[in-house]
Amino acid sequence: MELIAYFLSLKPLNLLSALPGNIVQGIIWGIMALGVFITFRLLNFADLTVDGTFAAGGAVTVVLILAGIPAPIALAIATIVGLLGGLVTGFLHTILGIPDILAGILTQISFWSINLLVLDGANRAVNVDKYHLIVSLRNISSSIVTMLVFAAVLVSILYWYFGTEQGSAIRATGNNPQMVKAQGINIDFMKVLALGLSNCLVAFSGGLMSQFQGFADIKMGQGAIVIGLAAVIIGEVIGDALIGKYMNFYIKLVFVVLGGVIYYFVIGLVMWLRMPTDLLKLFTASVVAIFLAIPYLKAKTNNSFVFANKGGAQKNA
Amino acid sequence: MLKLRNVHKTFDIGSINEKAALCGIDLQLAEGDFVTVIGSNGAGKSTMLNAIAGVWPVDEGSISINGTDVTALPEYKRAQYIGRVFQNPMTGTAASMGIEENLALALRRGDRRTLRWYITKTEREHYYTELKKLGLGLEDRLTDKVGLLSGGQRQALTLLMATLKKPKLLLLDEHAAALDPATATTVLDLTNNIVLENKLTALMVTHNMTEAIRHGNRLLMMNAGKIILDISGEEKKRLRITDLLERFKELSGVQMETDSVLLS
Amino acid sequence: MKNMKRIILILMSIALVLLSLTACGKSPEVSDTTPSGPEQPEAQSYNIGICQLVQHEALDAATKGFRDALTDKLGDKVKFDEQNANGEPDISATICNQFVSSGVDLIMANATPALQAAQTSTNKIPILGTSVTDYGTALDIDDWTGKTGKNISGTSDLAPLDQQAAMLHEIFPDAHKVGIIYCSAEPNSKYQDKVITEHLTDMGYSVKSYTFSDSNDLQTVAKAAISENDVIYLPTDNTIASNAEIIKNIALPAKVPIIAGEEGICSASGGVATLSISYYDLGYTTGEMAYEILVNGKDPATMEIRYAPKFTKKYNPDICDTFGITLPDEYEAL
Repeated sequence: MELIAYFLSLKPLNLLSALPGNIVQGIIWGIMALGVFITFRLLNFADLTVDGTFAAGGAVTVVLILAGIPAPIALAIATIVGLLGGLVTGFLHTILGIPDILAGILTQISFWSINLLVLDGANRAVNVDKYHLIVSLRNISSSIVTMLVFAAVLVSILYWYFGTEQGSAIRATGNNPQMVKAQGINIDFMKVLALGLSNCLVAFSGGLMSQFQGFADIKMGQGAIVIGLAAVIIGEVIGDALIGKYMNFYIKLVFVVLGGVIYYFVIGLVMWLRMPTDLLKLFTASVVAIFLAIPYLKAKTNNSFVFANKGGAQKNA
Repeated sequence: MLKLRNVHKTFDIGSINEKAALCGIDLQLAEGDFVTVIGSNGAGKSTMLNAIAGVWPVDEGSISINGTDVTALPEYKRAQYIGRVFQNPMTGTAASMGIEENLALALRRGDRRTLRWYITKTEREHYYTELKKLGLGLEDRLTDKVGLLSGGQRQALTLLMATLKKPKLLLLDEHAAALDPATATTVLDLTNNIVLENKLTALMVTHNMTEAIRHGNRLLMMNAGKIILDISGEEKKRLRITDLLERFKELSGVQMETDSVLLS
Repeated sequence: MKNMKRIILILMSIALVLLSLTACGKSPEVSDTTPSGPEQPEAQSYNIGICQLVQHEALDAATKGFRDALTDKLGDKVKFDEQNANGEPDISATICNQFVSSGVDLIMANATPALQAAQTSTNKIPILGTSVTDYGTALDIDDWTGKTGKNISGTSDLAPLDQQAAMLHEIFPDAHKVGIIYCSAEPNSKYQDKVITEHLTDMGYSVKSYTFSDSNDLQTVAKAAISENDVIYLPTDNTIASNAEIIKNIALPAKVPIIAGEEGICSASGGVATLSISYYDLGYTTGEMAYEILVNGKDPATMEIRYAPKFTKKYNPDICDTFGITLPDEYEAL
């Protein structure tokens, strides 16, 4: 009885009406995920700087807007701060020889202090009634259009960049550094470049998020890497399921952004189901685990003896 | 073309693993020399190639290529002069990138990487013709990921990559050792053709004495970090395996591990 | 066709996880909700969205007080959608979006980022905040007058800092140096530090603040503060609350007494006394404000921010024995 009452109390329309807001937030994280994709997938570098640069992007944007600087310029400056963060991690790793994860953590925790200084405290609000913001929870329909345009432009720029000589050198660096050196490419330079670019996107996304939610908080970057990775993985799995072998680099980037959207849609779903919110993180972990497991299980099925017995062998031969 | 003067390299200095890998290498290659290098395990063959390629700095001595002193240049800067093929087929190519992408990276060896698009239409046609010469059917798989290729195909591709932009010096580090005998022969013949056709200066390390004799115009034998034998010209042409084994015993005072040398 | 199958597989696995999680923790909300379907007219029933930043003793108490107040007054007629952002500030934006899009009648925002997200999400639906110290700063409002002038009001958890300073003076009239320890990453601590420093300085103490930016640095900072001062003051600070034991282990052996801004911190840090507010009462007051808005049609724009209804002076008997301090009868034991 209770279960029936529970299902009756759910209102499908509410799930739908919350969707646009989730989409905006999802695209913002999707842009962050593009940054994570560059380091994690292309450069093969586990960069934890992002937790710091995401919050830095938010902090710098809000503080500059409060200081009277127009939001687009504030966002551009925040993006440059992200670039600097990525460069610092790059220098720590390449020049000082600090392992990748540790280099990222060092920059990340430095940003904790820097962000506190920038915010002059732990939290600063930017009131949408007082400032002209690029995106806001208040104007979801216009925010959706803005974010779609941003995402399309950024995906196109990244597609172009990773198809240039420099971009393909970055991809190769992540793939086989020894071969890249033999081709006369300075892998240290490529790593620093990719880290800078990645953290640009992350800070840009942080700057948008702070405007969207109307505040920057010192904790807003915490766990950003997890959401970024989740978005990348969800996007890849779904992309693979839908497009399969027709996947190309452009569509892959689109699916990374979509991964962020799906992630937020799922969170919206959890809230709509009114599940105990204490379980939210457990749920998130479960979803990411499922998506991580799918490619592995699929590969296993394709190679299994049982499957071969059923005639899969001829198809695979 | 290539000049090594009194090159020394010791690894793990001061530890119990300390090993003098190169002990005064002097070597001079003329333009168009195709040199094979043999020697037992640990003789310093690969180490010498790595010293030339600049994988690490040498302790002493100097290296110059084409009249330029490269002793102080890092690996990626020396790459403008040097094409390389490695023993492990995985090393020379980027597995998750396509065949044409790998070739495009190699075509720009030593160049500054700009923001120009990385494969043009004419380049793609160029890759097609060059791949066709390998005779492995790779020309029809330009966009296939290199990870899908067999070891032999990958070594052939690496060889093409190393010579796509003509290098001043080609370094081949036992590049057929990891392949099965038939494939190894194919790759070595391919190597021979490419080197001769392009009049390349090449250093080829091998375990296989037959191959060392069959290819090239000059043969070096190394032992304990030194070049102990340097045969070229007519003498090289008349050389046989038994001569080599005898000379080795005579010069180094030990029996060469014939099994590994002959059977590999 | 094969793709379709894959998609269905993925969707089904998501649904499975959802269902299993729902089943294992059938939400407490359900029991509060009258089993009325969406088809029932909602004329006299009120839907309230509660957005709480993080699971935390004080915030939980405030939420409970809020629900109790409204349930006391409205019984079945009020329905709560209680969501928790699990400490991720941006999730509070997701939650508020959900509330606004589903058209709740009122949003209760528990803690600063929750209130900020709520403010951003709507300028129509009434919003009540709680566990927020300083509304002017939290909402980025210039010329703070005690009212927001828009769809927002609420309760402040600002401890009576002047009275806390007076209490410190009452217990330690002969001390000279007071050290204040707080976490600079906490939104409200800086403000408390500023205000109480003014009060204490006026009383003739020499006051120094010791800040740390995350819990790893607390030990070093606390050591310095305790070695340099006669008395330590700890404001209401979440990071301190979670790490109070560290301070206790340094302060007790050094025989430096502590005055705390809040009960939980006082007992955990081995503090001598505190003058604290009850977050339950604060939440209850917020609930009463919600009633006024929902039923009596009051406009939040004109409602003053309210403060905790009563303060209690409390002391820690064991610690007082250790330090040999005797306190007046008005102090209650913790």
